[in-house]
Amino acid sequence: MENLLATSTDTRAQLPLNGPAAEETPVLQLTNIEKVYQTSTIETVALNRVNLTINRGEFVSIMGPSGCGKSTLLSLMGLLDEPTSGTIAVDGRLVTSFSDRELAAIRNLKIGFVFQSYHLINDLSVVDNVEVPLLYRPGMGGKERRKRALAALDKVGLSARTGHFPSQLSGGQRQRVAIARALAGGPEIILADEPTGNLDSVMGEEIMDLLLGLNRQDGVTIVMVTHDEHQALKTQRVVRFFDGSQVG
Amino acid sequence: MVRHLFRLIWNRKRSNVLLLSEIFFSFVVLFGVATLLFNFGRNYVQPFGFRHDNVWRLTIGARQGEKMPRPQLDDVLRQVRALPGVQEITLTSFNTPFRFSTMNGDFARGSKKARGVDRYDADDRYGPLFGLKLREGRWFNASDDAATRPLAVISQDTREALFGAGETAVGKLIRSDDQFGGDAPKEYQVVGVADKVRMSGDFASATPSVWMRLAPHDTTSWESATVLVRVASGQGAPLQQRIVHTVAGLTRQWSTQVYALETDRLDKLKPTLAPLVALAVVGIFLVVNVALGLFGVLWYNISQRRAEIGLRRAVGATGAGIGRQFLGEVLVLTTLGVLAGSLLAVQFPLLGAFEIEPQVYLMAMLMATGLIYVLAAGCAWQPSRLAAGIQPAAALREE
Ligand SMILES: Nc1ncnc2c1ncn2[C@@H]1O[C@H](COP(=O)(O)OP(=O)(O)OP(=O)(O)O)[C@@H](O)[C@H]1O
Ligand SMILES: [Mg+2]
Repeated sequence: MENLLATSTDTRAQLPLNGPAAEETPVLQLTNIEKVYQTSTIETVALNRVNLTINRGEFVSIMGPSGCGKSTLLSLMGLLDEPTSGTIAVDGRLVTSFSDRELAAIRNLKIGFVFQSYHLINDLSVVDNVEVPLLYRPGMGGKERRKRALAALDKVGLSARTGHFPSQLSGGQRQRVAIARALAGGPEIILADEPTGNLDSVMGEEIMDLLLGLNRQDGVTIVMVTHDEHQALKTQRVVRFFDGSQVG
Repeated sequence: MVRHLFRLIWNRKRSNVLLLSEIFFSFVVLFGVATLLFNFGRNYVQPFGFRHDNVWRLTIGARQGEKMPRPQLDDVLRQVRALPGVQEITLTSFNTPFRFSTMNGDFARGSKKARGVDRYDADDRYGPLFGLKLREGRWFNASDDAATRPLAVISQDTREALFGAGETAVGKLIRSDDQFGGDAPKEYQVVGVADKVRMSGDFASATPSVWMRLAPHDTTSWESATVLVRVASGQGAPLQQRIVHTVAGLTRQWSTQVYALETDRLDKLKPTLAPLVALAVVGIFLVVNVALGLFGVLWYNISQRRAEIGLRRAVGATGAGIGRQFLGEVLVLTTLGVLAGSLLAVQFPLLGAFEIEPQVYLMAMLMATGLIYVLAAGCAWQPSRLAAGIQPAAALREE
């Protein structure tokens, strides 16, 4: 907690990881990442030689101007996309050559996503939405899913709205549902892309407090993209990007 | 996952109603077409119950306003019979096989009724000429001249309608029961039971029939007569000429025309096949329409649900899993549509509609079900693959 105002970039990220103790294995390690988007007319270098290590229990903010590659970085961290070059390791394992199936399993077990626009399924009730990640967990029965979903909703303070549909909720409530969905699977890391971007400052504050609580009390590692300096200051570390490169 | 699909489909019921009703209607149309096809096919492979090859139909007509005395007609029959190449000859009513005219009536015996029975006038040579197979009793013969009552041979299906299984039919009386009040009810004594016959054409089913013996040497006069001739195989125009000449040689007042029964059969085929072909074309058109509709709706659904697909991928679905989900949704919908359609279709055999056998309906239902599943899976295949191939990062970026 004393570390609350630390904003320096972790320059040790590029240290070789020769035989560290299990606890010290970074949750995520990106090495020499380059991401180039090729369209018929232009080639966009979204990320250029990015090296970044996310340690267990950290709450990292990612900041930078629009279009500098923050969302791209998050989708690479979340194994939703592949880098043009460079490697990604999750819990010390390189995922570069993993199959679609293996990547999906890692996303399901270890990663929770929170998006600026919530991405709830409008045709499913709140509790059904929270259950979605658990549907893809082999061998989990309906009862267990429901139990976990309700527990996650309890954690975000939405126990009273489990039967509602997303359209019946406020923006802040929707984002809580999305956080509950990210939590339901018991992830090691939550990747949040501008989770408060669509919310007013009061609701944004609530969501921020929720994330801080998850990080401090439950030890969930969080990487959050934000445009809000004030929010970023509350996290342990801020990584700044400009035009596809880390700048501090 | 199946429960999840049901919940998703239920919550999306408004947009799924269209798809569901398309599946329902295409099932019903396919069921109808399949029923007709199976029924026609089933009839087609049944035996006719009589031999129509090498049989010619002679229509002999008197001059306007004049009549043909029976003795003179008998003379004509004798002369034609004597021609080389002619094997058998019979005098009958106008409703010969494959013609568009029929003579219908009901027959009764006690409380039992046979409705819509085809009635034919027949003499002693009719049965042998057509090779009718007698299951009981015999065909008419000269000994019947002494009979005091009108005589009849009935077909097996008429027998089933009028007699119990263990009962003997031969020697019993049946009553013509003309509701239209044409003739007074008349009793006929059964002398024989023949196999079922299908005289209305290739795709027609067997019809209960009764052949009523034409009394010989009667005093009635005819305005026109229909005579059937069995000829040796390979006979053609020369024999037809000789028949026409023979009739003309006896009396200049009468005219004769000769047709082959085979021609009559083909003539009957055309108007029967035309609606079948039309129906099949309509059916194919509908199925193609439904296929395009299914395809379009699915395609639209998937483009509408890109964000959902991206999210599902993010939380652990594989590409193949997404494809399976979309395919699964279509198959669940198809099952619902087919169930609803089957509920309607099963009423037909239950109510015994259209006198079509239940097996035909059941086969048609199976066929329609199979086709709908193939259709639905076929239409869902490409869109599902498209869904499976959607890049999650790109899909989540869009809003
Ligand atoms: N699928 C894509 N195809 C082509 N170019 C892309 C694609 N996705 C992103 N880009 C480009 O990559 C660059 C980085 O985009 P990204 O969305 O990561 O930026 P960002 O930092 O998240 O911006 P914002 O703060 O506005 O969300 C941009 O120039 C963008 O146009
Ligand atoms: Mg972004």
